[in-house]
Amino acid sequence: MKKYTFVIDVDRCIGCKGCQVSCKQENGVALGACRNAVKTVGPMGVYPNVQMYFLPSPCQHCDEPSCVEVCPTGACYKDPEDGVVRIDRNVCIGCKSCAEACPYKVNTFNQELQVMDKCNLCAQLREVGEEPACVKNCCGHALHFGDINDPESEVSKLLKEAGEEHVHTLRDLGNAPGVRYILRRGEWVDVLPQDCEETKRGRKGC
Amino acid sequence: MLKYDFLKAADIAIDASSLQKYGGLSVQTAAVSQDAGEVQKIRTTCRACISNCGVIATVKNGRVVKLEGDPKNKMSRGRMCAKGLSGIQALYNPNRNKYPLVRVGKRGENKWKRISWDDALTQIATKLLDIKAKYGAEAVMCSTGGGGNPQFTSPARFCNLFGTPNWFEPGCAQCYLPRQVAYGLMYGGTDPSIADSNSLEIYYADRTPMKSLCLWGTDPSYSCPGQGGGALVELRAKGVKTVVIDPRLTPDAAKADVWLPIRPGTDVALQLAWIRYMLEHKLYNEEFVLKWTNLPYLVNVETGECWRAGKSTHPKLPDTFMVWDKKTNSAQPLEYPWNDAYDVALEGTWEIDGVTYKTGFQLLKERCEEWTLEKAAEVCWLDADMIEKGIRTFCENTPGGLCIGVATDQNPNSVQAGMGAVIIDLLLGNVEQPGSLLQRFGALQPTDFSVVPFCESKLPYEQLVKRLGGIEYKGLHMWHAAHAPSCLQAIKTGKPYPVKAWLDRSGNKLAVLANGTEWVEAMDNLDLIVHMYMYPTSFSAYADYLLPTTEWLETNYLQQVCNTVSIRQPVDHLYETIDECLIWSLLTQKCAELGDKDCARGFDAEYMGKDFPCWDNMTEVMEHFTKRYLNMTWDEFKEASKDGPIEYMPEEDFLHYYVYKDIRPETGKPRGFNTSTRKCELYGECFITLSRTGMPFSGEPLPPASHDYDPLPYYMEPHESPLPECDLSKEYPLVMTNGRIPFYHHSTLRNIPWLREIYPAPELWINPETAEQYGVADGDWVWVESLRNKVRAIANVTPGIGKGVVYMERFWNPEKLNTETHGWKEMNVNLLSKSDAPYNDVVGTYTLRGYQVKVSKADGPPEGVWLEPRDFRPWLPEAMEHTPELSKKEVW
Repeated sequence: MKKYTFVIDVDRCIGCKGCQVSCKQENGVALGACRNAVKTVGPMGVYPNVQMYFLPSPCQHCDEPSCVEVCPTGACYKDPEDGVVRIDRNVCIGCKSCAEACPYKVNTFNQELQVMDKCNLCAQLREVGEEPACVKNCCGHALHFGDINDPESEVSKLLKEAGEEHVHTLRDLGNAPGVRYILRRGEWVDVLPQDCEETKRGRKGC
Repeated sequence: MLKYDFLKAADIAIDASSLQKYGGLSVQTAAVSQDAGEVQKIRTTCRACISNCGVIATVKNGRVVKLEGDPKNKMSRGRMCAKGLSGIQALYNPNRNKYPLVRVGKRGENKWKRISWDDALTQIATKLLDIKAKYGAEAVMCSTGGGGNPQFTSPARFCNLFGTPNWFEPGCAQCYLPRQVAYGLMYGGTDPSIADSNSLEIYYADRTPMKSLCLWGTDPSYSCPGQGGGALVELRAKGVKTVVIDPRLTPDAAKADVWLPIRPGTDVALQLAWIRYMLEHKLYNEEFVLKWTNLPYLVNVETGECWRAGKSTHPKLPDTFMVWDKKTNSAQPLEYPWNDAYDVALEGTWEIDGVTYKTGFQLLKERCEEWTLEKAAEVCWLDADMIEKGIRTFCENTPGGLCIGVATDQNPNSVQAGMGAVIIDLLLGNVEQPGSLLQRFGALQPTDFSVVPFCESKLPYEQLVKRLGGIEYKGLHMWHAAHAPSCLQAIKTGKPYPVKAWLDRSGNKLAVLANGTEWVEAMDNLDLIVHMYMYPTSFSAYADYLLPTTEWLETNYLQQVCNTVSIRQPVDHLYETIDECLIWSLLTQKCAELGDKDCARGFDAEYMGKDFPCWDNMTEVMEHFTKRYLNMTWDEFKEASKDGPIEYMPEEDFLHYYVYKDIRPETGKPRGFNTSTRKCELYGECFITLSRTGMPFSGEPLPPASHDYDPLPYYMEPHESPLPECDLSKEYPLVMTNGRIPFYHHSTLRNIPWLREIYPAPELWINPETAEQYGVADGDWVWVESLRNKVRAIANVTPGIGKGVVYMERFWNPEKLNTETHGWKEMNVNLLSKSDAPYNDVVGTYTLRGYQVKVSKADGPPEGVWLEPRDFRPWLPEAMEHTPELSKKEVW
C-alpha cells in the first residue's frame, strides 16, 4: 500500500513560513485557519547556550488517524489509494470532533465555511502531477513529499541517507503518525506542536 | 464611515470621463488575455523586497490567481517567501491608491478630491517652479525608500535635472551606504551583502570550495529567505562552517557553529579584537597582504598620507609607493605591482629625513593594540573563549567570506564597521578566489541592467555644493544623496536655507525615520508635500497630493540574475496607477512644459548622452537596456523570456575568478583592484582624500570637511550606552536593537491579511531574567520607552537574546489611518530611535539601533489595533477596475 506523506528536513527549515502562505493561496484557507503552521521548538537552554529549530506542523497523515475514528459523518477519511487523510467538506458538519481528537491539533476550522479544513497534500495539484504548494515553494527545500513505502522514492532515499538515528516522528499516541522529520544538527525534542509558544504572542493558529 | 478604508472615507468626486481620459497610460498588459476562462502562466520577477526572486504568475480571466516560484531562476530556484506569495493581496488590496488625489481639508484631516493626472502634475509642477523661483531649486527635496517596488534612482534623477541636490532616503547612511563606501574605497568591487543579492558565489553550492562563512549582523533566513536564505541552507548542508555575530538568535544564529550575541552597537570593538588576534597569531595570508594590499606602504605619520615615489603617468596605472626593503635596510620605490628584488617589511617605524614613517600594517596593529579578547569580551558582552572560537573557525577555514549586514549601518560607528569587515576578509585573502564572497563576476562585460541613470553630472556645481550635509559627510556623494537630519534641520530652521517642498515615493517615512515626530512638527514649514505609493500610509495623511503607483505585478523591470536576466512585466493593471519611474519623468516633462529650462534639457538626447533622455512610457526605458545588452526590443525580450531568464553571457565567462590578476593589454600589468592604488587599501588613505575633496564620489572636488576622516577603523561607544559612565542608563537600562522578520520588508505589507495574521503586532524580545526584573511575562503587552517617546509591543520572553538587550521589529498600523494617530504612534519603534548627533563622520549615520530604553508591563494593546486574524478581512482582495488600454497620445 502507498503511504504518501511529508518528509521534512528540519536542518533545512529556516522558519520563514512561506509554506503557510503558499498553502493559503493554493487552498483558499480562511483567515484564522492554518493547515501547516511552522512552530518554533525552543529556544531552550540558558543564554547563550541555546537550541532552536523549526517544526513545520501539517497533518501527520497517520496510519491510525484518530480524526477519522471520531468523525460522525464520515467526512474525515483515509484515502485507501495513497494513505492521505482527507476531509470531504460537503459532508463535514463542522462539529470539530476531529480537531479535538487529533493528538497534534493540526486540523483547523474554517470560520467562513463553518467546516473543518486540513492538509490533503494538495490533492488537486497531485492529480495534475505537481507537488504540494508548500513543497514547491519551500525556501529551504526542507519540505519533501512522496511515498515512504516505496524504497525507490525520493523521500525514502532521503530517509535512508539521513540514517535511522536522525529520523523522528511526532509522539506516537497510538495513531502512528506518518510525517518523518530529519534532524542531524541538534537534539530532537519530544514536543507537540500545540505546546510551542507562539500563540501567546498573538499568532493565533499561525 | 468605515474606519479601515482610508480612501472610502475620503471626499472623492468621481469623474467618469477622467478615467477614460487618464487611464491606461502605456502600461501594456497585452500579454495577458482577459478572455473568459483562459489561463496563462506568465514569467515575472518579484519585488516584495529587494531580492527579485523569479515568479510564475497564473492569470485567469485577466486576474492573477496564483503565484509560484520560478525554478529556472538561478538564485531563487523556485523558492518564494511569504512576502512574495502575498503579492495578490497587495495587488488587489481594496485600499490601493487608485487615482490622483488632492487634499481638500486641512493637512492630516484626510479629506481628498480626485483629480486627473494632468491636473495633478500641472498643479505640482506649478508649485515646484514657484518655489524654485522664490527660494532656489535646492528648496525642493525628494525622498524615496527601499520598500515597495522602487525605481531607486528615479527621484534622484529628477532632482539632478531639476537642479536640487537634496534627495534622501531613510536607508542610505543607515542602510547599505556605509558598507558600500568601505568596500568601494578599500576593495573597489561589490560589497558582500547577501540581502542585496551580492555574494553570488553562494549560489553555486555544487561547485564552490567555500569552507566558512561569517555572517556579521545579517540574517539571510529572515531578510531574503527565497534567495540568500535558501542558498545558505545548501552551503550548511554541504558542511560550510558558519560564525554568526548577532544579538538575536535568528535562524542563521541557531544553525551556526559559533554564535556571538554581541551587545548592539559594539561591533567595531569586536572587529578590532578580531584583527588584533589575527595579527598576533599570524592568521592572515601574508603573501596576499604583502603583494595585494597597501599595508606595506610607508605612511607619513604626521599627514596620514602614503609616501609616493612618483605620480603615475598612465591612467590605468597607480602611483609608485615607498616600502621598506629589509635587504638594503632602506626605503625603496615599489613599482606596481611588485618587485621580487625587495624583501618588503610588513611592520616597522622609521625616521627618514626628520619624518616618521610607519607601514599601514604597523598603524593597523597599533590601532588594535588595546583590543585583547578579554577587553572585547567585556565591552561586547561576550565570552572571550567564544570569540576566539569564532575567529579560529572562520580564519582557519579558508576559502570563505565575511558578509556584513545592515545591523552595523544603523549606528554612528557605521562606516568603521564596514572598514573592519573589509580588513578581516582581505587579511585572509578571501577575495576573487573560488569560495570567496568578494567577486567581480561578469567583470569582462559590465552591465547596469535597468538602473535608471542618476544624471549626477547634470547637477550644476553651485548646486552640488549646497547638498545638505554634503560637505561634512562626503560619503553621501556615492549615492548623490543629502543627509536626512540636515534636511530636517533645514525644514525646521530655514538654515542654511529653507526647504519648502517634499516629494516622497516610499511606504511610511514616519515608521522608518528616526523620531518621526520631529518631521511631522517641521511639516508646517513646507508649502508642498506629495506622496506617491501603492496605498496610503501614515505619511499620506500629511500630504497635499497622493499619486497612485503600481505594484510589482503591474511593473516592468529587467533583473540581472547571475549570468542571466529575468523579466518583470505587468500581469495586470488597475485603476490609474503609474510606475513611479514614469511619474518622475512625467513631472520633469510637466516642469519643462511650464517653462523650466533645466527640465527641458532632460529631453534633449544630445545633452543627455549616456544618461539618455527622459521617457514617456516604460517600454522606452526598458529598451535602453534590452537593446544595449541583448540586442532585443522589449517585445522580443518578453517573447524570449517565456522559457526562463535569458542568458546574456555564458556561465563560464561570468564566473571569472582572480580578476585582479588578469593582465591588462595596454599596460602589460595586472588589472589589480578598482582602487586608486590598484591594491586593496586596508590602510584607508582614500578616506582622507574623501574628507578633503569628496573624490572619487563627488565628480568635482568639494571644500574640505571640518576634519580628516580616520583612515583606520576606530571604536565609538554608543552615545546612549548601558555602561555606568552614561547617566541615562540608570533610567533607561536596556539596549534596543532591531532586525528583520520574514513577513515584511521595511514599512511595507502591514495591510496584508495573510501576513498580519502571522505577525499582527511587533514582538519585544527580552531575556527571561530581564523580564522577571521588570515584571514582564511572555505574551504580555509592554510599554517600551526611550528618552524620546513610548510605544507598545508584545513581550517575547526568550533566552534567544541577552540580558540587558531588547529587540523590536518596526511597525505601523494601517487599520488606524483614519484616526488621530494615523497609525504611526502605537507600535512604531522608530518613535524611540535617535535622529540627533553624534553622526558617523563619513556618511552622517544616526542611531536606529543601540540606544537605551526601559520596559514596563502595559494594561493591554493600543486602542483599535487589529490583532485577530479575522480583523483583517476588510483588506482581502476585492474586485478591481481594469485600466483601459489607452495609448500615450490619447492620455497626454
